[in-house]
Amino acid sequence: MTGVAIRNEIRRLRFEHGEMTQQDLADKIGVTRQTVNAIEQGKYSPSLEAAFRIAAVFDTPLEGVFHYSKD
Amino acid sequence: MPFREKSAWISLLSISLIYGVYFWSVVHAGPHAGFHFGSLLATVIALIVVQIVLHIVIAIAAPKDAKAPRDEREKLIELKASRFAYSGLATAIALACFFGALDPPIVFNTNALLFVLVTVELMRTSCQIIQYRRGA
Repeated sequence: MTGVAIRNEIRRLRFEHGEMTQQDLADKIGVTRQTVNAIEQGKYSPSLEAAFRIAAVFDTPLEGVFHYSKD
Repeated sequence: MPFREKSAWISLLSISLIYGVYFWSVVHAGPHAGFHFGSLLATVIALIVVQIVLHIVIAIAAPKDAKAPRDEREKLIELKASRFAYSGLATAIALACFFGALDPPIVFNTNALLFVLVTVELMRTSCQIIQYRRGA
């Protein structure tokens, strides 16, 4: 069976941006810390709008944060 | 634990306990006992008071979380839970139509409808809690 997955670099990007906490990122994009945690762990795929907000916080294009891959 | 998950736990536990006592008294009264409106009113008032007090307590403990609007994931969780509960409601209504044809006494119908409402609400809050726990 072929599966697809959206992976992300949020944890690394947070670390590279002054060890930003999940709560800091959550406050910047207007979601809860638990939602940031769920996105980071790949348990929840954010809306396109939230994905763009995350990319804007890290000042990087969307593909610099999220990767779509086929397993 | 996020505010909304705590809220779901409060709903689940308070509804289970308070309506549990009510339905226990209904079952013990037997099928031919009359409908006690006072008992139901006391149950509803107790539920409202307990939920308001407990929600005030958790809001005081985390005022920022309590004031924050639901985010997209929390809205999705609520929608999924409502969809799950709807399937239970639809099933229960179909069963009620079937048993209604058997012409049961009105007191049975009233309590059966109430039981359906309580069960559906428990399904909804349980589903929310499971999704919060999974982190979905």
